[in-house]
Amino acid sequence: MSEAALIDAARRVFAPGATEIDPAYILPADRPLELSGEAIRTRLCTFTDARGAEWVMRPDLTLPVADAELQRRLSGAKDERVYAYAARAFRLPAAPDDPLEFTQVGFERFGALSNPDADVALFTRVLEAVDACDVHSRAIMMGDLAIVPAFIEALGLPDVMQARLKRAFRQDGGVRALLDAPARGLDAQAKRILASADPAGALTEHFSQAGFTLMGARSADEIVEGLSAQAAEAAAGGIPARAQAILHALGSLDCAAGEAPRQLDHLCAEHSLKGPHAPIAALTERLERIGKVRPKALAASVFRASFGRRFTYYDGFLFEVLSDGLTDRQPVAAGGRYDGLIAALSNGRVSATALGGVVRPDRLLRAKAAS
Amino acid sequence: MSKPILALPSKGRLKDQAEQWLGARGLRIVQSGGARGYSAALEGHAEIDVRLLSAREIADGLISGDLHAGITGEDLLYDLAPDAAHDFETVARLGFGGADVVVAVPSAWIDVDTMADLERAGAAFRKRHHRRLRVATKYLQLTRQFFGAKSVGEYRLVESAGATEAAPATGSADVIVDITSTGATLAANGLKVLSDGLILKSQAVLARSRHADWTPESAGALGALFQSA
Repeated sequence: MSEAALIDAARRVFAPGATEIDPAYILPADRPLELSGEAIRTRLCTFTDARGAEWVMRPDLTLPVADAELQRRLSGAKDERVYAYAARAFRLPAAPDDPLEFTQVGFERFGALSNPDADVALFTRVLEAVDACDVHSRAIMMGDLAIVPAFIEALGLPDVMQARLKRAFRQDGGVRALLDAPARGLDAQAKRILASADPAGALTEHFSQAGFTLMGARSADEIVEGLSAQAAEAAAGGIPARAQAILHALGSLDCAAGEAPRQLDHLCAEHSLKGPHAPIAALTERLERIGKVRPKALAASVFRASFGRRFTYYDGFLFEVLSDGLTDRQPVAAGGRYDGLIAALSNGRVSATALGGVVRPDRLLRAKAAS
Repeated sequence: MSKPILALPSKGRLKDQAEQWLGARGLRIVQSGGARGYSAALEGHAEIDVRLLSAREIADGLISGDLHAGITGEDLLYDLAPDAAHDFETVARLGFGGADVVVAVPSAWIDVDTMADLERAGAAFRKRHHRRLRVATKYLQLTRQFFGAKSVGEYRLVESAGATEAAPATGSADVIVDITSTGATLAANGLKVLSDGLILKSQAVLARSRHADWTPESAGALGALFQSA
């Protein structure tokens, strides 16, 4: 089969019931960078126009398709919508033998119920596309980005620390960087400012005495807010040993997917944790159903609690399909749930559940050649 | 065949100090076209092609392999190299041109003294302003790697062409990553260095490219210089 034939084969799997789409090739660079931060820039194909504005070639289809769906929802649509595409995307290569420009064949589904049924439908649909290309997978990597946040919430830490751990989990250094950072109390000056009836006023007075000038967009109110958050963290006395042990165990959880629910339950029982049960139940149900419809795929699946934590907008189930002749960083297919993306892109004006999956025909072709 | 190329700083204190360092090893630079000329030679070493370039051009040339060896700053080499360990080799750290690459914020931010504080402030800022804190710098890669390792993701980079320390005052950025030797320039601009915000203690180095076209002749021609370093 040629690459064109693989594209056609995968396309036929995703087309039923879907609206064909080929959205904007070029996006304002702010779109992915404000959403996901600078860490993703190393893979983006960006350029600057004559006025200095920065643009980016679409790095995948999910973001521009979600933008199109966002426009539709802003104009009042509330129904479910599935988009399918076979379209070019552009990414600076992670491996020297990866192309800069490639085709993704996939679909994105918005507004369906967010449940294990929909997750399994996504998973099986993507595997059908791989099957249609007559490619065998050597392993499947699975994760669920709702699990770690649920554990963090169950640790009984102050809100500021929960939020901070959740953010750190998605960064390169992970929560480790945070656990290693020394806890610090407020100095006398800061305490005095916080204790005053008008903290922002006391702060401004402190500025004039110390000769500080407030620069940029960050206001005195925000600095007072920062001091309060700092005080709350100091009062909590850092991250307790129990929480550290749980986060550590969770971070290193790496097992056969079928084992994952039992391991997570065990971790909860060991530390008397109540709270993460809903996402564990969802994971259990999802894996049981996959085991029924795709027993071989489940047997080949590995679950890691931290898998996909750097895939910026995914926030639930996600997976990658690996094949012969390609590294673990070159999946032939992938998919996942991103229920928070539409809300994040619209600053909360609209929201919609979302999931999507793709295959990479260029890599499928290489996998076929290798097997 | 062609001679190996040795690149030396073309201006400023770095140029003077590199000349002194070479002089202490009995090597004298003869500049053609007067003090402003950009081609030069090492007296008595016709087998070496000497170029006078900016420190940034030298770092770029060593990384690409256009230059065989050169004297430049570690800050530039580590920032510009996609893969420092495979792109260049440090022959010697030269003990001059010292500068620290640091993260600095407005002194008025009394709630921000560490990278962890900056992370928290960045997250709160984004929530309120619907955009990320801006970090102005020339050191795009060093900044990205350091912030990533510290799990600080709530920021955007603004590439700065010069006078980075003025960016917060002019409003083009909120935070900077820049070099400092004493911190005086930062303080004069109303900025302070974060307590764990030291990214790199940089100094001038003699470095050799790993991608240059190295022949036994070119290696031999520069061998004596590498030995004396």
